[in-house]
Amino acid sequence: MAYSVPRKFPTTIVGSYPKMPQALEAIKKRKSGEISEEEFKEIVKPAIREVVEDYLWAGVDIISDGEQAREDMVVYFAERMRGYSIGDWVRVFDNEYFRKPIVIGRVEWISPMTLDHWLYTTSISQDRPVKGILTGPYTMMEWSFDLYYRDRRELIIDLAKVIRREVEELIKAGAQYIQVDEPALSTRPWREDAELLKEALDIIFKGLEAKRIIHICFGRLERIIPYILDYPVDQFDLEMKNSNFRLLPYLKEYGFNKELAFGVVDVHSFQVESIREIEEAIDTVMRADIVNPEKAYVKPDCGLKRLPRDIARAKLKNMVEAARRAREKY
Amino acid sequence: MRVWGSVLGGYARSRFVRRVLRDFERGLVAFGDLERSIVEASSVIIGAQVSAGLAYVVDGLLDWHDIFRSFVSSWRNVTPTGLLRYFDNNFFYRIPLFTGEPEATRLVWPPRVKLYSRLSEPSGFKVVIPGPFTFTSMSINASKASFGELASSIARLLESEVRAAVESGASMIQIDEPILSDPDIKKDDAIMAVELINSIIRDIKGVKTILSVYFDVPSSSVYEVLLNSRVDCLSLDIIDAPKRALDLILGRGFGGHCGVLGLINARTIYDDDISRLEDIFGSIIKGYSGEEIGLTTSTWLDLIPYDYSLRKTKLLGLLVERIARSFNLEHVWRVS
Repeated sequence: MAYSVPRKFPTTIVGSYPKMPQALEAIKKRKSGEISEEEFKEIVKPAIREVVEDYLWAGVDIISDGEQAREDMVVYFAERMRGYSIGDWVRVFDNEYFRKPIVIGRVEWISPMTLDHWLYTTSISQDRPVKGILTGPYTMMEWSFDLYYRDRRELIIDLAKVIRREVEELIKAGAQYIQVDEPALSTRPWREDAELLKEALDIIFKGLEAKRIIHICFGRLERIIPYILDYPVDQFDLEMKNSNFRLLPYLKEYGFNKELAFGVVDVHSFQVESIREIEEAIDTVMRADIVNPEKAYVKPDCGLKRLPRDIARAKLKNMVEAARRAREKY
Repeated sequence: MRVWGSVLGGYARSRFVRRVLRDFERGLVAFGDLERSIVEASSVIIGAQVSAGLAYVVDGLLDWHDIFRSFVSSWRNVTPTGLLRYFDNNFFYRIPLFTGEPEATRLVWPPRVKLYSRLSEPSGFKVVIPGPFTFTSMSINASKASFGELASSIARLLESEVRAAVESGASMIQIDEPILSDPDIKKDDAIMAVELINSIIRDIKGVKTILSVYFDVPSSSVYEVLLNSRVDCLSLDIIDAPKRALDLILGRGFGGHCGVLGLINARTIYDDDISRLEDIFGSIIKGYSGEEIGLTTSTWLDLIPYDYSLRKTKLLGLLVERIARSFNLEHVWRVS
């Protein structure tokens, strides 16, 4: 029997989860050329299974593969599409680095990039829906170096076409939730950038028969709220807890009328939010009178990858319980 | 008129540095060996700047994980915590958490200045510190102090750093306030930032002082306040938003300060178009009345790969030379 997602306050995740040792090892071996892409996909699966077990243990309704195969949200896709060269190491934080990709030719889709792990996750999800999660074209563009296009619009449109192709693969396989991650948008919150992304999202989402989601986090999103609310999506997935729900009055003011997935746990804090604290977070959103419980999704602010696994699990567990209580209350 | 060049701040880490830091974190390398490796790598970076003809050089700040960390690690009552995105970059800093009034347990800059200023000759050695307003704004204040009180405490500690750095042989003091380019910064914020900066450099004599704002262009009302700063030079990121930067500078000038222009794009890896940069410089210099002007990178060189950070250093040197020749300016390439 198909899993029934709660009608009110479904719980979900943004996507990434702490990397399991098997995944880290697989990424390392693939990078050094010890294993092929096909072997890599297989070796990562036990890590995905562990992530799914954590989600199921916590009781999350709509899950992901934990992005266990993704060394980095940009590099993963850049390595798997035409037109990119994998660049040299650039620091992300402390003594951690990623190979910032370089666009050196026309970007094109080659073959499915996320489908195998989406299928695998779906096969072990006990019928819970699995999100198809893709790094968005704006973030791909902003977090790469471009030595080919030298024109942002041309690059983002071609990236959107690549992502659209991947989305079609996921939909064909049965994905009901497609999420495009655009963390870079809030870091350059200018109207022209918001409009540039809209054009790209039109390409990605046009005519899709699935829940269309955009995830944006941190930064100064309030500056561009008026320019993004007509994005062709069904759901905005936004960070809220870390910024103390600062966005709510802006959403209210500009007449937000889509589904809202709002962050109730802070992924930058190792402190596990209590159930009560998360209930209060849900209450804060409901008091703002922006969405009704049927259009309110409860989730962490962003991906959980930077947290220790036990903390990530505990946060999810409390989140799910708080959402359950909210269902009784509202 | 004189023109000189100087990279704005830190450098990317070479593979050698990344490895030695990783081995140190794993306990495979002793602290002394780490220090020696950092000195070797910093010497290469200083050499690259000196040979590019830059008048003031930095040591690359290779052992700093972010702009705040060395200070946070050297002060009591503050600790690095979770990660937060550093402006509009795919780079994260650890948020300093202040639990009380910060107190210095050691000074960050004087030992570096003593070591590296000798290696920097004939160029001068530049010290870079985070501005107290940016520092406070980007921290979590869990102390009982107000924002202003905490910022003043930070400014006092930074003042001690700067004084000791100058006594140790620094030629230039740069105070970085990138947050002042944020569109949400109000005039009152800028007033506080300038007061704090003025308190840091109040007793500093004989070295050049710079207030550096980057990642974007400050609003005109904020810039108006910055013109009241007592620093010698104002450094602006020109290339991130050239039109807005030019509007600001052509409309307001530098208020009697020496201007420092962030022309080399430190966030891209392609070679800068030197001719275009000359044109931008030309439009600024027309209304400029100062006796000297500096050229720099748009931000630190730690957001691009190591080899490109060296390439950008060379391009900055070339730009200074080209501009000196084209505009008949005196090219300052040595200080000591």
